[in-house]
Amino acid sequence: MDAIQQAFVVESRELLQMMEDKLLQMEGGGADPDTINAIFRAAHTIKGGAGVIDCKFIVEFTHVLENLLDEMRTGTVTSDRELIEVLLACSDQLGTLIGCVESESEPDDDINKVSLSLRDKLQHYLRIPSVTSHEVALSGENVHISVGGEMESDNWHISLRFGPDVLRKGMDPASFMRYLMELGKIVHLTTLPDAIPDAIDMDAESCYLGFEISYQSEADKSRIESVFDFVRDDCVVQIWPPHSKLADFISSIEALPEDTMRLGEILIKSGALTRNELDLALNTQSDRQGDPSSQPKIGDVLVNQGAVTAEVVEAAAVKQGRINEKKTIESQLIRVQAAKLDQLIDLVGEMVIASAGANMLARKSGETALVESTSVISMLVEQIRDSTLQLRMVQIGDSFTRFQRVVHDTSRELGKDIELVISGSEAELDKSVVEKLGDPLMHLVRNALDHGIELPEVRTAKGKPARGTLRLNAYHESGSIVIEIIDDGAGMNREKILSKAHERELIGPNQTLSDSEIYGLIFEPGFSTADKVTNISGRGVGLDVVKRNITALRGSVEVESHEGVGSTFRIRLPLTLAIIDGFLVGVGRASYVIPLGTVVECIELSEKDRAETLSRQYINLRGEVLPFVRMREQFEVAEPGGRRENIVVVQYAGQKIGLVVDELMGEFQTVIKPLGSIFKHIKGIGGSTILGSGDVALILDVQSLVALAAVHQNRMQAA
Amino acid sequence: MSTANNLPVIAQAANAAEDHQYLTFLLSGEMFAIAILNIKEIIEYGNLTIVPMMPGFIRGVINLRGSVVPVVDLSARFGRGKTEVSRRTCIVIIEVAGSDESKQDIGVMVDSVSEVLEIPRSEIEPPPAFGAKIRVDFIHGMGKVAGKFVIILDADRVLSVDELSMLGQAAGAMPAAQAEAAA
Amino acid sequence: MKSQHKTSISEDMTIYNAAAQKQMLLDALADCDELDIDLSQVSEMDTAGLQILLLTKREAIKANKTVRLSAHSKAVTELLDLYNMASYFGDPMVIMASEHTAVSEGKSEHKAGLYL
Repeated sequence: MDAIQQAFVVESRELLQMMEDKLLQMEGGGADPDTINAIFRAAHTIKGGAGVIDCKFIVEFTHVLENLLDEMRTGTVTSDRELIEVLLACSDQLGTLIGCVESESEPDDDINKVSLSLRDKLQHYLRIPSVTSHEVALSGENVHISVGGEMESDNWHISLRFGPDVLRKGMDPASFMRYLMELGKIVHLTTLPDAIPDAIDMDAESCYLGFEISYQSEADKSRIESVFDFVRDDCVVQIWPPHSKLADFISSIEALPEDTMRLGEILIKSGALTRNELDLALNTQSDRQGDPSSQPKIGDVLVNQGAVTAEVVEAAAVKQGRINEKKTIESQLIRVQAAKLDQLIDLVGEMVIASAGANMLARKSGETALVESTSVISMLVEQIRDSTLQLRMVQIGDSFTRFQRVVHDTSRELGKDIELVISGSEAELDKSVVEKLGDPLMHLVRNALDHGIELPEVRTAKGKPARGTLRLNAYHESGSIVIEIIDDGAGMNREKILSKAHERELIGPNQTLSDSEIYGLIFEPGFSTADKVTNISGRGVGLDVVKRNITALRGSVEVESHEGVGSTFRIRLPLTLAIIDGFLVGVGRASYVIPLGTVVECIELSEKDRAETLSRQYINLRGEVLPFVRMREQFEVAEPGGRRENIVVVQYAGQKIGLVVDELMGEFQTVIKPLGSIFKHIKGIGGSTILGSGDVALILDVQSLVALAAVHQNRMQAA
Repeated sequence: MSTANNLPVIAQAANAAEDHQYLTFLLSGEMFAIAILNIKEIIEYGNLTIVPMMPGFIRGVINLRGSVVPVVDLSARFGRGKTEVSRRTCIVIIEVAGSDESKQDIGVMVDSVSEVLEIPRSEIEPPPAFGAKIRVDFIHGMGKVAGKFVIILDADRVLSVDELSMLGQAAGAMPAAQAEAAA
Repeated sequence: MKSQHKTSISEDMTIYNAAAQKQMLLDALADCDELDIDLSQVSEMDTAGLQILLLTKREAIKANKTVRLSAHSKAVTELLDLYNMASYFGDPMVIMASEHTAVSEGKSEHKAGLYL
């Protein structure tokens, strides 16, 4: 894929996402001109881009889509749920087609079939209103009158944007103008040359021109439209009947090529204003020369003169603002390939290790000056590390918004009415974490939609609002990000879980469990309380997969539930997967790293405790029972231990345990190196790191050790 | 860093002759060969970190210029007991296909490396149906060298990441001795 | 002293010649400060041709140079009128009385043809 294609793919995907969001917004009742325009522009830009990379299958498909969106913009086609479904399907199909560009393949027959059937559906919408368009426009006037007054003009307004291939196909825009002159009178014509690119990029055989035409004719709309029949596929044609509504002109302003144009020019070009009216207004503006701040804005002047109404001026001003805004944003952002960033982070990781090594050597040498300079370097390296990791931080919002679609589709499929409420979108976390979060999050969302939230009639019967609410929330908490999936559904039945757990022999018959432990059982393999298997979840893939995925990210997941009120799933994840602060301990001859965030305190194991611990698996920590894991035993260390032992008290998700180790070696900054997939099933070890000496040290997975201690404890209590 | 003591590293030029070039090495007294195309480098044995709760044939991990690479004891993998570390013990770094189409480096512990030999295709026989002392699917072929047969190993099979990780999982669940016997 | 250059286009300004003419005019513009383009020999002009003139004019404005169109042929005048772009170029156009009538007559003939 060359650079242009790549840029096209990236940009189109963003536009598609935006399009989808807007479509969903429309379905939620927001069919305002802005939204429709935004969707239209997205489709239009994708088509344009596809033209640039000469990708016919996208151009062809998008063209029909664009036509329909255009009709929606002008109000000749009104949107309903069914149409939005079709449009969503089109946006999916565009995604598939863009995928073809990405994989540099032609769409296969299956894909083409979908394209064809969607195009047929779109055509269907396009055809119906063209017969009754006049009527729609007339009746529409009464309905939409609130949008703004009528234009005083007796003229039709025709807006044309010719596609690049028009000339090559042997058609000349001039001939269409001449044809128009046969049907009526061109009162005024503005040629828009703004889209002609820079001299180097300009293809002499491509057409770049657009036209805004004031037109007088006795012909009806379909007759005028028929003038452009030959260029239907290569020209954006908009026709407004005389006495059109302001809203239409506003959309016309928005659709103009995005070049910086003075407000007045925009208004003239959209036909809302004549040159004379503008000149007059300009004169008024300059008459009051002097203090620039007191100088009235041209827009105000025009409104005062009654030349245009405030709404039209505002739309033009917004457009002007948007053009400027777009320019600043463009200059503030740099697109960087993720691989380059990864490489940088790897290098910084190496640097952290190297600097730790240098530090160690310097301290050994005992030279104060050297120690000082190396510690300055370490400090800088740390700062570089932090800023580098910051580069990878992305807001979680985007991964949340894509669930709008999931909620939309799924709730329809299930016959439920569910609203998605998103909060905390601005919480940041590492891009690599976000990528891996997608699947588990999807699973939990579907789970909540399917099993959590009840059918509307059930809800009403229970005295709940018929419309269920699913919340996605995110916030930061002590070096982790917490993501909550909250539903106001049926909640979970504690007894049902318990009996199932007994049935599956997940727990002993006499075992007593806390509420959180009971709800935690749903994450056990093969556990599902759903009475029936549906298409959405319950495909045999249980929540244990979610737990495994989250655990693989050094995170945890827990659930809180109240029957009849709803459930909350809470995912806790580290902000980054690359670097952690660690605490180095020795067990036998090996060194291990404990993530510092989990360490509560370190205590020496007294002689008395040591004697006692030989017979039991807990110690008395200031009156509290602290279960512990003897790392020596856990890791089957053969050689005899030293005379002293220490306990590192660690905490995970509210539970405290002790890890019995030989030696405490202090804090250590740790670049996490993944252990290859050979070790993917290993319990108690989460990764590895390279010490300043060049040796590899393993990182303890505190979470699984905590779980292990719990098993020990249960076994003991059961005995 | 101590891992930098590289023994002669075999260049990886895109050379047609490499197709037929094999590194021979000794494992508990017996000679084996492996195609050099898969071999990235050979380093001296040392600075190994033991990974607990893994079967005996996974000796541990080493730091290979900033990457953590697992080291497999081939002798133990073939069920012939652990390789004793001597002055000539080496780690051959081999690139194998990972579980998800990615490439992964794995170190193989051998008693000593011998030489790089050219074995033309005509001199390679298919693996025997039975009678070999190791699993037949580990064998790529039998190379004839100076009138004797050398077992040419199929690196992707011997070091199958999926299989190794499954055995690792089994080892986590049962005592190490049993896991070795199962291998 | 500003360097002046005069060039004339001897062929039709249509899509067939557009690429070559684009290069020719941009090169000519690069070599001087004021470019005078004689259009008297242009017996046919289409939108591609007009775009080339628009581009040349815009490039000149960007580079703070001057482009003048002169001796517009009938074909050029007609297209500039149709597109209402004469004022953009701002060059004086000589409209011959006879030509003018010829244009109108041409139109009416065309119309007549259509209604037959």
